[in-house]
Amino acid sequence: MTDDVILQVKDLKTYFKLDEGLLKAVDGVSFELRKGETLGIVGESGSGKSVTNLALMRLVPVPPGRIAGGEVLFNGKDILKMSDAEIREVRGNKISMIFQDPMTSLNPFLRVSTQLIETLVLHQGLDKKAAKEKAIEMLKLAGIPAPEKRIDQYPHQFSGGMRQRVMIAMALSCNPEILIADEPTTALDVTIQAQILELINELSERLGTAVILITHSLGVVAGMCDNICVMYAGRIVEKGNADEIFADPKHPYTQGLIKSVPRLDRENKQRLYSIPGQPPNVINLPDCCPFFPRCERAMDICKSKYPPVSAVGKGRSVACWLYGEGK
Amino acid sequence: MSRFIVRRLLSIIPTLFIVVTLSFFLIRLAPGGPFSREKKLPPEVLQNIMRKYHMDEPLLNQYFRYIGDVLRFDLGPSFRNKDHSVNELIGKAFPVSLHLGSMALAVALFLGLSVGVISALNQNKWPDYSAMSVAVLGISIPLFVIGPLLMLLFALRLKWLPTSGWISSRAGWATVILPTMTLMFPYFAYIARLSRGSIIEVVRSDYIRTARAKGLKESVVIWKHVLKGALLPVVTYLGPAFSGIVVGSVVVEQIFVVPGIGRIFVQSALNRDYTVIMGDVIVYSIILMGANFLVDVLYSMLDPRIAYK
Amino acid sequence: MPLLSKNKAEAVNEFNQYVKPVSLWADAWKRLKKNKMAVVGMWIVGLYLAVTFGAAFLPFYSYTDQELLHANLPPSTRPAGRVAVERLESRRGELLVAMQASNREDLKRDLDRVNEDLDRVRFELDRDPVHKRVYLLGTDYLGRDMLARTVYGGQISLLIGIVGTITAGLIGIVLGAIGGYAGGWADNLLSRFVDIMYSLPYMLVVIIIMSMFKDSSNATVLGIPLNIIILFFAIALVSWLTMSRIVRGQIISLKNSEFVEAARSMGAGPGRIVFRHLLPNTVGIIIVYSTLQFPSFIMNESFLSFLGLGVSAPYASWGTLVSEGVQGMQLYPWRLVVPATAMTIFLFAMNFLGDGLRDALDPQSKNRS
Repeated sequence: MTDDVILQVKDLKTYFKLDEGLLKAVDGVSFELRKGETLGIVGESGSGKSVTNLALMRLVPVPPGRIAGGEVLFNGKDILKMSDAEIREVRGNKISMIFQDPMTSLNPFLRVSTQLIETLVLHQGLDKKAAKEKAIEMLKLAGIPAPEKRIDQYPHQFSGGMRQRVMIAMALSCNPEILIADEPTTALDVTIQAQILELINELSERLGTAVILITHSLGVVAGMCDNICVMYAGRIVEKGNADEIFADPKHPYTQGLIKSVPRLDRENKQRLYSIPGQPPNVINLPDCCPFFPRCERAMDICKSKYPPVSAVGKGRSVACWLYGEGK
Repeated sequence: MSRFIVRRLLSIIPTLFIVVTLSFFLIRLAPGGPFSREKKLPPEVLQNIMRKYHMDEPLLNQYFRYIGDVLRFDLGPSFRNKDHSVNELIGKAFPVSLHLGSMALAVALFLGLSVGVISALNQNKWPDYSAMSVAVLGISIPLFVIGPLLMLLFALRLKWLPTSGWISSRAGWATVILPTMTLMFPYFAYIARLSRGSIIEVVRSDYIRTARAKGLKESVVIWKHVLKGALLPVVTYLGPAFSGIVVGSVVVEQIFVVPGIGRIFVQSALNRDYTVIMGDVIVYSIILMGANFLVDVLYSMLDPRIAYK
Repeated sequence: MPLLSKNKAEAVNEFNQYVKPVSLWADAWKRLKKNKMAVVGMWIVGLYLAVTFGAAFLPFYSYTDQELLHANLPPSTRPAGRVAVERLESRRGELLVAMQASNREDLKRDLDRVNEDLDRVRFELDRDPVHKRVYLLGTDYLGRDMLARTVYGGQISLLIGIVGTITAGLIGIVLGAIGGYAGGWADNLLSRFVDIMYSLPYMLVVIIIMSMFKDSSNATVLGIPLNIIILFFAIALVSWLTMSRIVRGQIISLKNSEFVEAARSMGAGPGRIVFRHLLPNTVGIIIVYSTLQFPSFIMNESFLSFLGLGVSAPYASWGTLVSEGVQGMQLYPWRLVVPATAMTIFLFAMNFLGDGLRDALDPQSKNRS
């Protein structure tokens, strides 16, 4: 089982030093990613899911950010301890990323061809001509019509969905082992969203790429992911197989999230559930379960100590006082 | 693109016309004239002079006559400098000012960009702090303060450089240094601040994060991905910088006795040498509008998002 | 609703986090206070304003009193009479040496005059209180106190800056707001006009205007010299351009925003929308731009004064003083250095304050580290 684990994140911590105090954006996150697996990281905005993945690639802006601890083992080697040259060998080559806003993620001053080719020349050692051919092939794969012509255009000549396709083509051009997709559809029209997700799904399957899909939408996760991590206030509150979690959520937060997804099979007059209150401001948060003010089943202990992670079934774990020894 | 260029060039003509008309009447309507400050001339002599320069005619006639002359590229005779035509005076002085101005702009650009890049890449470290303090100083000190202070220090006290004159004088090329340094200083400072700020902003942008996520070397990220976008504000600033240098050269030429059109301009304005002022204004306007035009073209070449029809 | 409690002590949430809501201005003030250079700049600007405008109540010597025996005295903390005597004595020494060396009869008249002056100063030294004066920053070529002249010169310079900024600001805001809100032909007309004015070499036009009216400097309107009024108009007439562009741009981008739509849907008229919704949202940028424009007024006025086209005697601005100082800078450097330094420090402070205000008030910079 552990043989095909390609990425192992252990107790990752990323802090930001702000004027208002220390922001623990990621505070002890651990998870594994296996070959060919699709892992969903779900959470509200501000829960630390994007920062987690920037930290994996050491792309957190320093200062004010700082990776405060933990290990990120990629094929057994700790990314956090790599030299600059080593990590550049990983970025874009072994692990690549797609970002949320395709409108700003491509350099507006360089032709699409330039941006695609430079990655291929850098990591695959191709000459410019071969790289351009490969780039055109990738664009075609990503579903861009007339790629021979479009490749010499600038990003502003593409629509949002098309730009995200360019990003995907760029990210997958070096056959990476892991693709990190950070809310790849949030900024797109609803009709385009499904197409882009389908494209990521299809290409990753064809190329055997493992995917980390970051999203705030459970609907997206349900359709695509094998496993899920649910994040709240910088920590993973529940982790496990996607189907199992949807069938039997353990953490009150996950339960709330699932209840608040609109469903067609529910009775008509029923009001859609929503979790009361707001996610907390994680600056200077005291030691407690950050979810307790919104939790229907909060106990006294929730206000004074963060719950330990307890195993609940095979490959599943949850951080809540309702389970494990706290019970 | 070529249609944009043609249209842009044509739009210079009406503006130039307005400038000429406005300055013409402004100058003529003010009290006094080119001959009012000399010793009292006998009335008949004054009459003769006035007739010779057509100044006894109605103002409107003079205006149309002047416009006609200008269209034939004849800026007329100088009223005060009777042996020279305005064409000759400006023709001799213009290369000097052009030389001084273009050198100042070139030095300001080169130094400003270098300092801006170094500061941005060392943000909030000592090279950044010291460079930016110098830059604020450069923006705060007026030309006519820094000029005399530099002259006092390097020419009068240390005696390293000549106080005044221009290349053809005995001191030769050394005469160029102080005027150029003075004139370029505020623009150097502004360009340094501007490029630093815009580099820092671009470095934080999403597309630079993408470039880093691709595994590019930091030097490639900076030179290939950051600089092009970061330079755009500097290009936009070139227009104002150029007109600032043109106006500034008036003072600098005054301080360092440089025989350029700035000196002629001030002298002729004080002497009411009508034709010379007008000629100067026309030359300055053409330079400024031409510079703005070049900046627009340059900008459109650098920013692919701008498409001119 | 504990989160919205008006009682400050209760503005704490379940996590004991302080959640006092901050207004835009309080937030900006907090950020400004954290910027050390801006705070220093603010103090310096305050000090300049207090000293120059309170000069009449402070123990400065008159800036117009000429005392030819005190001409060109260097800065000193000792009484002027003593400094003058010493200088005359050393001058006499030099003359005697020169006369012995070259036997030059022409220097005799100089020597006689120096002796005469020396006798006069020595005679008056303890009788005339003028010689008890202390010129901390030296004197100019007519024996006027440089400190007093710099302070009163600053008064003129700052006054021109303040009045100019206010006028340019008012014209620019009104025209910019009209153009931006009305749109259509009014906006088109105003924008065209601004474009044309922009492409004029305006400082050169100002130079022409000022040199044309140089001779009429004796005339006054309401006790203010005519040429100061003309200077003021000449500068203010063209400096509203940028302000009107900025305000216009802001108004256009705000006018289509949701909160204005909301106000309109609730029946707010154009007047209410412009004054209650649009302009208050542009105040930040107006303040920032005005602070940055203020020094440029002072620079422009001084620029003209330096060319001999600005404020004329008996008034003096920093530019006039610098220009006078340049004349004798080799022998009497303090005459240049004193007003130049005073002016530079002020502009320096103003720029730091303006930068600080921009960082504090510009919402775009809010989330930057």
